[in-house]
Amino acid sequence: MARSSKFVAKLKYGKITTFVSSTRIEVSKRMEAILQSIYDGILEGKAKVVPAKVQEALDAGISPAQILNDGMIRAMAEVGRLYEEGEYFVPEMLIAARAMKEGLAVLRPHLLQADVKPAGKVAAGTVQGDLHDIGKNLVALMLEGAGFEILDLGVDVPAEKFVAAVQEHNVDIVAMSALLTTTMSRMKDTVEALKAAGLRDKVKVMVGGAPVTQSYANEVGADGYAPDASQAVAVAKSLIA
Amino acid sequence: MNAVERLSRRLRGEAADRPPNFDIMMQFAAHYIGQPLSRYYLDYRVLVQANLAVLNDFQLDIVQAISDPYREAADFGAVIEFPEDGLPVSKTPLLAEPDDLKRLKPPDPAAGRRMSDRLEAIRRFREEVGGEVPIMGWVEGALAEAADLRGVSNLMTDLYDRPEWVEELLEICTEVEIAFARAQVEAGADIIGLGDAVASQIAPRLYERCALPYEQRIFAAVHEAGGLARLHICGNTTKILSHMARSGADIIDIDWMVDMRAAAQAFGQAAVCGNFDPFAVMLQGTPEDVYAATVECMRLGGPRAISAAGCEIPDGTPHENLRAQARALREYGAQQ
Repeated sequence: MARSSKFVAKLKYGKITTFVSSTRIEVSKRMEAILQSIYDGILEGKAKVVPAKVQEALDAGISPAQILNDGMIRAMAEVGRLYEEGEYFVPEMLIAARAMKEGLAVLRPHLLQADVKPAGKVAAGTVQGDLHDIGKNLVALMLEGAGFEILDLGVDVPAEKFVAAVQEHNVDIVAMSALLTTTMSRMKDTVEALKAAGLRDKVKVMVGGAPVTQSYANEVGADGYAPDASQAVAVAKSLIA
Repeated sequence: MNAVERLSRRLRGEAADRPPNFDIMMQFAAHYIGQPLSRYYLDYRVLVQANLAVLNDFQLDIVQAISDPYREAADFGAVIEFPEDGLPVSKTPLLAEPDDLKRLKPPDPAAGRRMSDRLEAIRRFREEVGGEVPIMGWVEGALAEAADLRGVSNLMTDLYDRPEWVEELLEICTEVEIAFARAQVEAGADIIGLGDAVASQIAPRLYERCALPYEQRIFAAVHEAGGLARLHICGNTTKILSHMARSGADIIDIDWMVDMRAAAQAFGQAAVCGNFDPFAVMLQGTPEDVYAATVECMRLGGPRAISAAGCEIPDGTPHENLRAQARALREYGAQQ
């Protein structure tokens, strides 16, 4: 079926707004339009439009939680779906995530003020010896777009640094990435180091990267594996559910 | 029948004693002769010695001057680190800011430090096995080179943020790769491989605009110089198979997640090269797994198909697995 992504997006979005009071129809329509423009702006990767629209939404009195959930998280979920379906590729995902981050920068202080908690905290990094970070970045962006708080440990991260992140930052999930068959064995080092530090039961471990498979994830003792950034969101959610 | 004859018959779709084995070996080959990786990619004598060792011991049908993506980038002036037994690393892209493009100076392949080392490798191959074994040189695709100079993530967003700038960069890269490809054919290369890995990460319409036209120009220059062209894009290229067929390549590699039969159909007169899983089958599988996968790929790939793992043979691959591939090709060839 040849439906444009925008049409699908609107249709999906249309399902989630429920306004009951007939006296507030005009106001709610305006709110709906602002949230829709945040959603569209993220899907189209408009990094200048999205923060302005987030501000407009806040000014219009939409709650930070609703802006996050109905504007941003929903849009990033759609980005993930389009990626899985082969309509979006890495460039489209990156510019969408960039627009999302710009919007989130405006929204974050208001989320803190309204005491909206993140879905969970994830420490993400590429393993020691591996400098290929595009996959890790995409995973971090998609998780952030799904409401997780990201502690980005960067590239070439030794096991001790993952352990320290868990100790110091109350992390829920450690997410490791490797592109090379020569570096992926480092994943096991981190799992072992977490055990040695007595932290293995306190944190979930998820792994990914081009040569990594579910069976390899099992082999290194990870709790979760995802073949791409979009599916990493579902895995992360299931790990802390 | 020597490997040169074997390849030329196979490319015409004619009977050969066996399908050629075009496995890409780099890290594996270096360690096979007990050398650290940096020696392999920095010293052509080590690269040649390692290639000749695996050529004979595992019955390959090619010697290859491919080593790492940063030959051209280094000669452009990028800062590349060379860990003793690790792959080269580029921590800061040469084009960190878009404005840096103004200062970009195209290197001369013969004068460049790392590019000329590859030319030396090809000359040495020529002396050792010229006319008997196909000698493969290597260039980056223009888009891959642009990513090497700019950083992958930056380039991916540049495609939307500054398309004209990307086009200007691709023009410079294309001219350098054409000069490099010509120099390698003149030095004795029979085949020029072109790696454009990043092309599997962009939409087909972007591939058609930002990768394909430049691959076509580089391959036209290869043909004009008298060489054969091999296109190598790792990753899932299922959606761009018909575009890749228009690149002008004589041999097209596909990674393990691509359907070999569909690729062979899409490529027509070009030979499909592939494509079992280098990790799950070659590194982790048994000799029986490798044997079965090798035969199955040849069966699906048709009369022009060339055997190889979907990408580089992983470091640490069991030798008996490589011997199983060689045996599978001999026995498959004998039955045809």
